[in-house]
Amino acid sequence: MERHQNRYNSILLITLLKYYFLKETRTPRNNVVVHRRRKSKSYRLSYRSGLGAADSRLGWSPALTARRLNTSRKAAGISNIAERVDPGQLALLVKTEWQLSYVTPLHQFRHTQLKSYARQLSAFIAAGKQQGLAVEVEGLQTTFRVSFSLVQGMTQSDEDAESVLVQIHSKRLFARQDEPQKPVWSGWLTCINGNPDYLRALPKDFVCLPLFGCSGADGLSALVKSWFQQSFDCCFGLLEISHTSLQWLMALWTNCHAESGIQHLKMIWTLPAAPPLQVTYTVDPEDAWELWSSVRKGKGGGGGGEEEEEAGENYIDIEEVTSFMQGLKSHFYRHFRLDLSAGSLNQVSTALGSAKYSGRMKISNSRYMITTLTLLTECALLKMPI
Amino acid sequence: MAATLSLTGPPDLDLSSASDLSVSSRSSNRSLRVAEKERKKKKAEDPFVLALKYFSDVEAGTPVNGNDEVERNMVLVEKLAYSKGLSPEAISIMLEFAMSLRMGTSLCARVLKCLIPATLVPQEAVVRAVVWLSVGKIPVSTQILFIKWVLTVFDMIDAKDQLRAVYGFIFNFVTEENLCPFICHLLYLLTRKESVRVFRVRKLLELQSRLGRQPFLLSLLSLYKVFCPEMVMLSIPSRIKSGFRNHNMPWKSALIAVQKGAGPHVAAGISPASTTIKTNPRKRKRCHLELPVMTSVVSKEAQTEPSSCGKVVPLVQLHSFAQLLENMHRIELPAQMGSLLGSSLALQYLDCVQDESALLRLNFWLGYALHEEFLFCGDRGASQNSQEALPFLDRLLSTQHFLQEGFSCSEAFLYKFLNVWDGSLLRPQILGLLSNIPVVPSAQIRQLLFEPLMQLFFTSSLFFKCGLMECLNNMLLKWLTWHSVYALEDDLDISLNSHTSINMTLSGFKDSVMELVDFVGRLASLGLQLEGCHSLLLSFVLDFYETVCDMFMKYGLPLVVMPPPGVFYPALFATDPVSVDRLAYIMHRYKVNFTSAKSQEELTKQAFHISRQMVREFNHYIIVMVNCLWNSKMFQLDMGLSLGEDLLLKSKVPQYWASFDLVHHPAFMSYAVDFHHRPGCIIQQRSYEITRDGLTLNINIFSLSVLAWRKDMDLNSIKDSKPWSWYLEFLVSQGYDGLKQFVQSNIGRQQLPADEGPGDSGAT
Repeated sequence: MERHQNRYNSILLITLLKYYFLKETRTPRNNVVVHRRRKSKSYRLSYRSGLGAADSRLGWSPALTARRLNTSRKAAGISNIAERVDPGQLALLVKTEWQLSYVTPLHQFRHTQLKSYARQLSAFIAAGKQQGLAVEVEGLQTTFRVSFSLVQGMTQSDEDAESVLVQIHSKRLFARQDEPQKPVWSGWLTCINGNPDYLRALPKDFVCLPLFGCSGADGLSALVKSWFQQSFDCCFGLLEISHTSLQWLMALWTNCHAESGIQHLKMIWTLPAAPPLQVTYTVDPEDAWELWSSVRKGKGGGGGGEEEEEAGENYIDIEEVTSFMQGLKSHFYRHFRLDLSAGSLNQVSTALGSAKYSGRMKISNSRYMITTLTLLTECALLKMPI
Repeated sequence: MAATLSLTGPPDLDLSSASDLSVSSRSSNRSLRVAEKERKKKKAEDPFVLALKYFSDVEAGTPVNGNDEVERNMVLVEKLAYSKGLSPEAISIMLEFAMSLRMGTSLCARVLKCLIPATLVPQEAVVRAVVWLSVGKIPVSTQILFIKWVLTVFDMIDAKDQLRAVYGFIFNFVTEENLCPFICHLLYLLTRKESVRVFRVRKLLELQSRLGRQPFLLSLLSLYKVFCPEMVMLSIPSRIKSGFRNHNMPWKSALIAVQKGAGPHVAAGISPASTTIKTNPRKRKRCHLELPVMTSVVSKEAQTEPSSCGKVVPLVQLHSFAQLLENMHRIELPAQMGSLLGSSLALQYLDCVQDESALLRLNFWLGYALHEEFLFCGDRGASQNSQEALPFLDRLLSTQHFLQEGFSCSEAFLYKFLNVWDGSLLRPQILGLLSNIPVVPSAQIRQLLFEPLMQLFFTSSLFFKCGLMECLNNMLLKWLTWHSVYALEDDLDISLNSHTSINMTLSGFKDSVMELVDFVGRLASLGLQLEGCHSLLLSFVLDFYETVCDMFMKYGLPLVVMPPPGVFYPALFATDPVSVDRLAYIMHRYKVNFTSAKSQEELTKQAFHISRQMVREFNHYIIVMVNCLWNSKMFQLDMGLSLGEDLLLKSKVPQYWASFDLVHHPAFMSYAVDFHHRPGCIIQQRSYEITRDGLTLNINIFSLSVLAWRKDMDLNSIKDSKPWSWYLEFLVSQGYDGLKQFVQSNIGRQQLPADEGPGDSGAT
């Protein structure tokens, strides 16, 4: 570690540093600490009821699954997803920032019935929009058109259910008759490399698509969610991207720098000062890459190139991620005497994508989409109540 | 409040009173003025007034980010607005500040959201704001917000004449796509006969031809037609009354709250333009605790198999138990299983439904609600208010009691929640849920249950400790009941009914119970020590051991676990007789269990797995108890409680070996005295004493004077054989049946206490 610090002393790491006071003072300092503790604790205990011994008639006992975030994962390799997935769908997935949610397994969801789901959902939205109208007005045509489509080629393992894309098109109120409808809302449900034990343990009439992303008006999102809830008896909850997951994303993205440049590595930290201090920490991509590869080399040993090739798979360990973060933090400390470990990481972004603690996520490069979605699917599965 | 806040209001007190004052009273007038000055000064120092001053004076272009001052002032205004509402002057200032976009658009929306009038809204302010609407670069969403605000407070605007004067101006906004519905609504409220003009009708008709027959346009047109039927030729359906939506106004709930606080004099005049029952936005966020409405899955059914539609009966259509029985075979589950919790009839059905995926659906929903409320919600600033959580958990508990089983999702939830629980939030409910969890395998029980509970136990109050003891006792009772129901006699393995796929071996179950009892033993030992052997805690601990000692007899579980010394001795030396009595009862039951187990062993010729160790412990305890209470042979070498002879002598306690017998035991001393004091007893004693000449005088003195008796009381006299048995009878008559049973089962009845040996503990 000492060696790294000396090396990086000469590198200009920080290109931009902004302090400004957060407008919202809602999160007092204690809160930050408290919720972090909660988070880690709620993950720590990884228990599936049952465990092969519980006995309740009201219970359900799937196989015991390790319910914690993997400590080691495959580095993002270039996937040929662009060849397999419809380019239109892929473009939509890539260009938008999504608000993520987790979804409990869908009951009686059939991939073969997407057309009828589209009809039902558009009727549901029309009914929802109609609510509050004193009288039914004839001639008020449904202005929303819903389409459900299968995103083929996304799945990675046999257990994964096919992803589903939902789009809502609408005509502007003042649009001319011949003007085409525009997409106003889109969302998708997916499961990439879901925990096979969990998926196998579910009965046949459940489809597990734990990760839900949507973008569009909140009102429509709420309507779509409540339609799903009523039709498939599932529940939607906000999926935050935890501190650890954000660090994972940073490492995974930085690891891709050699193949496609990350352009910058930007982090936003919140420090529990009064008033709260927000730190934007941007690292030059070359420097980040150098730090990362030194951390990697330290793990694999000097001439690890051949070994890696032999192994075929390129795995990243949580220790590497931690020491990468440690390097970044200690560098920051040397310059500003501010220990970032006291704060919480709120947002990370590179040219490959960005992710926020609040659960907003954007994937900018489809080549590394699968890795990101795998991580997020894992996060969503961790949120499952049972 | 509004009066004191007025910034511009003239100090009329000074003016009006000055004219009435004579010259002679000038001095008093002066002092009045001083007071007035001070009042003004105080007013000027009022932080809220300062905040308003800030907003009226702040220069355009002042940065918002990092500006603590604006944040502080904004919070002040918001606080007052939500608690008491804003005075007309404050409304004017804030509205002007917001609509002029002096500090950007983000603050504009925020200000609009907190504009809750306490009394009235000045018309001038609204008119000015309308003007800003066309001048400034206000985003459309904020424009909508503003119009919505005007609609909400429309009835509180002090006059409408100036607004009507700018009718044409407002009408122009009708062509704005997003504003149109709201502008139509506002126009609807402002329209008079003179405002209906041909060009306006034409404009509206033109809009209608483009948009279709939108309700808001139709409504406005129909109003125009009412005023000037000759101008509007359009045929309007007679059904139309009001086509305006009841928009979800963000101010409604706050307004109602403010009006409630303000009292009837304001509330009477205010019924905002569009009336609707608005759901509180804060509530909407927490809707995961609301039970879903029970609906049938009509839509899906119709799609898939329309033929079967006539056969199934949706649960929602059943209203009585008889109907339920009749249709038992063809009931269709509701679309959302969570709704079952809301109806007792549905629960009846759930009790016998064996559909795995139905239960799974219910578990998913329930687990989701619990997780969101207690585990994930804390992050999002949702304060832990128990208003909704309490009835929800109560309902869950009563459901579990009804079904006599816990849901697996609540179990999984508890294992996580125990790690973050403070031990006081909704304690009875959480402990109630905890006592419902099914048997935990012994391999996991420590990590899942004991570690978090131990932390909570040792860091919480006495009442939590008692609560936890009760909870663990209930848990054990439920496990044992479950065992006695499902275990088959001829098989050591517990095979459950066909619908449960999981079996648990008897030894597995025994291990779990053993772990639990051991754990409670450890907790109780340390807890009693920490709390100074508090008798309340001791009572809950003894409750637990009352369950434990009867595991074989009552529940058929071939397992006997003795209490640890940390429980046994505090109970034996307790200062309250009830604890000692209960300990005696527990030891008696242990003996009964041992004896019965042994006889069964002989009967069935099956090896019975009661460990020698337990028998040894039991015998040891019995010997200690008998020696202590009966034989007055404390601190004998073989008792385990060995104290150095010299130490005991040093303590200078006379007859220390007898200090815990039934007479001198601190718990029974008062009874002994009472017994000694009784006339009946004394007579008996006298007749007894008479045979011993030396003591006759003593008795006589005693019976003559109570005070003298105190001095000369010799409780040891009770220990002689006859008064001893009378004393025992006396104790029994006071309700100490435990002692009675203990004596009966462990001590030969006829024997005299003096040469009584330790009772035969038959289970050896």
